[in-house]
Amino acid sequence: MAEKFQGKLEQIDANRWRIPRQNRPDMRVDGIIYANDALIEEAISGGGAVQVANVATLPGIVTASLAMPDIHWGYGFCIGGVAATDVEEGGVVSPGGVGYDINCGVRLVRSDIPAQEIRPRMKELIEMFFRELPVGVGVGGPFQFARGEMKRVLAEGARYVVSKGLGTPDDLAATESHGCLEGADPDAVSPEAYKRGADQCGTLGSGNHFAEAQYVDAVYDAPAAEAMGLKEGNVAFMIHCGSRGLGHQVCDDYIRAMRSAPAKYGITLPDRQLVCAPAESVEGRQYLAAMRAAANFAWANRQLLVYQLRRLLERFFGRTAESLGLRQVYDVAHNIAKIETHVVAGRRRRLCVHRKGATRAFPPGHEELPDPYRSIGQPVLIPGDMGRASYVLVGTAGAMEQTFGSTCHGAGRLLSREAAIAKSRGRKIEAELAAAGVVARAHGRTGLAEEQPDAYKDVEDVVRCVVDAGLSRKVARFRPMGVIKG
Amino acid sequence: MKHCRTFEHTADMGLEAHADTIEELFEALGEGLAEVICPPHQVTTAQMRVLEVAAEDIEALAVDFLSAVLNLIEGQRFVPAAVKVTHADSGSIRAEVSGEPLDPSRHRIEREVKAVTYHQLQVVHEGGQWIGRVILDI
Repeated sequence: MAEKFQGKLEQIDANRWRIPRQNRPDMRVDGIIYANDALIEEAISGGGAVQVANVATLPGIVTASLAMPDIHWGYGFCIGGVAATDVEEGGVVSPGGVGYDINCGVRLVRSDIPAQEIRPRMKELIEMFFRELPVGVGVGGPFQFARGEMKRVLAEGARYVVSKGLGTPDDLAATESHGCLEGADPDAVSPEAYKRGADQCGTLGSGNHFAEAQYVDAVYDAPAAEAMGLKEGNVAFMIHCGSRGLGHQVCDDYIRAMRSAPAKYGITLPDRQLVCAPAESVEGRQYLAAMRAAANFAWANRQLLVYQLRRLLERFFGRTAESLGLRQVYDVAHNIAKIETHVVAGRRRRLCVHRKGATRAFPPGHEELPDPYRSIGQPVLIPGDMGRASYVLVGTAGAMEQTFGSTCHGAGRLLSREAAIAKSRGRKIEAELAAAGVVARAHGRTGLAEEQPDAYKDVEDVVRCVVDAGLSRKVARFRPMGVIKG
Repeated sequence: MKHCRTFEHTADMGLEAHADTIEELFEALGEGLAEVICPPHQVTTAQMRVLEVAAEDIEALAVDFLSAVLNLIEGQRFVPAAVKVTHADSGSIRAEVSGEPLDPSRHRIEREVKAVTYHQLQVVHEGGQWIGRVILDI
């Protein structure tokens, strides 16, 4: 099914491969895939490498079309893709470079709860999460916003819901972009998108989205772990979700709105799903304004989920969130396009950086980082699969130099959903996970089968690659204890 | 005659329909999409919604029409039982979708479909048959 890459591919070093621009006359820059010998095979055969080459044809792209080691096939752009275009020189923005789930991301809350204290009650806790957190297809949340309030959610993101008492200023400080992208225009979001998102702010959704209890099982960087409040043996809670139906509809609307843009701006595309327009054009500006609104909705969504999570944990333990040490470590977006300034060939340039299945990884000293993290670098949250491990990394100067301050976003899917279901026939995934010490609950007959650990690459391989390539440093590893899925 | 089946695709799922006429092709695709989300045997035909969609070519029309069906379900919470296309040509379609408002106590939503994509999109007339293929982002 997927298009195998047949062109020339050169190994740069143990963790990087180059697709030279000479491969195709339409490539404007090289493609660079971060992968070791094992990971590159999937990129070649799974269709990701072809997509890296396709993205290299986009007008205004600078340096290279990049892919992180969790690369896998996506719509237009691969998942794990990073592409930066120079907005002053006609560089484009592409909804496909962000994806349908705008600002899908990860939020991590640490605690002072020792793993051994919670383990005997993990089943009870996960049952409570599963019963009380809004999770699964078509499940609405307890938060209803009137139209005017929803416009404020889209304009102000997590900041708005925190102003309503549903979070703390510390949550905002520990969120990428403080949970709000400036330049969002709620009026650029269609009525259909409002309808799809109406009761979904504060819901987890389905697919690969989850809420997970995990414990710190290894610390690699003690000062950084201390700054984040991560202590070996203690429990943390990770949430993975995005902008729900509202974001899906915004992406769909603007792919449709941009269908005529390539002809208008003289852009030839190798794949209709890569539809794009100059970032500074009317079409580009409108998409960016709507995409930012959807990103803000996603930050409000994760804020409301953490609000509910804290209340549930308070009830479960009969103690306050403060006494449980429930403090947000960080929140990252891994499907987003941002206008950022980067140094390219010795010159500061204003770039539209697309990260689709890739995480911002700013280095120590970066002005966008809050005080506690200014000296250690930006926390990067890497969910693995529900059977193995997740990681917290930090950004590095190497990421700024090589990948516009970006790194991987997860383990990366290996099997299609149908293949994963086929592989689970005759097995009981829930029982297998339980045997490995993980309590898992999911809606639907196929939820756990589709998301079983075998459906993903080993996060250890992915993390090793970004660390060895100098894009991130390891801070801590987490083992899953209990998870709910949609 | 019309027929629609699903097929596996990398991370997601595709719909492939075969039909004698263009109208039946769109009916099969629309009903196929609805069935992926909510099995139609659970749904009555108590109400009707009319969809009118126009696009620049027949493939874009297929995406826009199916996106409109998706919006009925996801945005308007209306679950389809059957689709009757009263007019279709290469650039426009009018369809009557019968079904009823979503009732979580009776309707089981099987899957959340994020969007209807343009990837490997195909609507062709071959050997006297209409064939349509679309891939859904799940």
